[in-house]
Amino acid sequence: MSQLIGVWVAAFLTLCIFSFLYRDNPFFRFAESLFAGVSLGYYIGIVAVNTLVPNLINPLFGDFGANAHLLIPLLLGLNLYTRFIPRIAWLARISLAVYIAYYIGINMVQKIQGEIVPQVGSTILHPIGGVMTPVDNLILIVGVLAVLIYFYFSIEHRGAVGAVSRLGVWFLMLGFGAAFGYTVMGRVSLLIGRMNFLFIDLVRITGQAL
Amino acid sequence: MKLERLVNIDRRIVYLCIAVGTTLPLLLPIGLPVSSTPPVRSLFEKVESLGPEDVVLLSFDYGPTTAPENTPMAEAILRHCFTRGIKVVVIALFPIGGVTMAGEVLANITPEYPQLQEGVDYAFLGYKDGAQAAMKQMGVAFVNVFPVDNGRRPLGEIPLMQRVVNYDDVDLIVTLSTNVIAEWWANLVNAQFGTPVAVGATAVSAPKYYAFLDSGQMIGLLGGLKGASEYERLVIDRYPHFARLYDRPGVYTAIKGMDAQTVDHAIIMAFILFGNTVHFLIRRRDRRAGLRDA
Repeated sequence: MSQLIGVWVAAFLTLCIFSFLYRDNPFFRFAESLFAGVSLGYYIGIVAVNTLVPNLINPLFGDFGANAHLLIPLLLGLNLYTRFIPRIAWLARISLAVYIAYYIGINMVQKIQGEIVPQVGSTILHPIGGVMTPVDNLILIVGVLAVLIYFYFSIEHRGAVGAVSRLGVWFLMLGFGAAFGYTVMGRVSLLIGRMNFLFIDLVRITGQAL
Repeated sequence: MKLERLVNIDRRIVYLCIAVGTTLPLLLPIGLPVSSTPPVRSLFEKVESLGPEDVVLLSFDYGPTTAPENTPMAEAILRHCFTRGIKVVVIALFPIGGVTMAGEVLANITPEYPQLQEGVDYAFLGYKDGAQAAMKQMGVAFVNVFPVDNGRRPLGEIPLMQRVVNYDDVDLIVTLSTNVIAEWWANLVNAQFGTPVAVGATAVSAPKYYAFLDSGQMIGLLGGLKGASEYERLVIDRYPHFARLYDRPGVYTAIKGMDAQTVDHAIIMAFILFGNTVHFLIRRRDRRAGLRDA
């Protein structure tokens, strides 16, 4: 019975969201606000149960001596909430600074080692070598150079530079077109999922329950 | 004046056409053919090359909002792995629903393989916050990130996790992703630890991953519902007994979804062609009218 109630609530909320296609209305705004609230509640719960308890609380209460170093992230985390006390709000910046520095450190290496170097490397091609056909290589080389010239603003885009720059715009448009096509496919897929729920899952589960 | 009315069709008529174009193929499947592309075949062949001694790390980096795209991928890959006896370690790094999706998919698939033992053939480690930090630390030891599995069992007591210490013991990482997390698997884990990474991405994020595919940082890519349907087709073609499973009425699969997808695309293209034709007709009419007035 609980599953039956669950699917009908889900169906009602789906229809509330779809009602926006006709026009904005209170049912849509109710479902939208409910989704935002439930998502936040779910996130807090899942972080507490899956991260805070097994990775912080249990180790500290289980074997404090061996896990005393966990007090550092605990204090840094609690320190973030000092921003709600105006007199000592500046203390929160210390935690924020540690957090930002950590992720800058991770990201810097990640971007250079894992993105810039391999991506530049895979663009430096022998025109007739590699795993791709010479035509693919040629398109890649011309495309990259043309797009780079389009984004090179230190010289005026006239004459030959202007022509290559316009070619760069064509390559960019092709890229945007491919991305847009994929986006349409993605959005339609989500609609298919909801329609499948309304017309197949809902009917099946209701039929099984009755 | 009549032409102006045609370019200003109420958008709700377009919505209605799309709704009908989506619903009818779901209720009355057409069975359109699905052909596979190299990025999908590449992942399929990689899984085919693995066996019972190998380990796949399957990361659920998506939530319910993109389940119609990602869940069919997850189910097809899990079935493929379990059929070949490959050991699977399941984790979730997406906060809003990743662990719930992983639990649902495992609950759907594992009953099809009654011989499977949790902890021996597969392990479900659950969700962890802070994806980048978690990925980096798993390179040292999984136990540092997941001291217990999703069922609160210490990792040391799980037979599979006794031999899977870090990425060195993983033969393939597959991320089913809705956002930037897939990129991190490639530019952090693959770059720093060298473990092969394959991605099952939503269609929205798939285009940018082709660059990673070309550079060899990803060994396979399933792009959206189309990628999922290709993988389902490859699995069915190689293991025909799955055909009965995927053909069951009332069961949502990517192959069935692609029928609706194709009809919807045809409707969208028809509207684009119609709108453009009317636009050019209006322009020609106005030009002629301008010449006549002159």
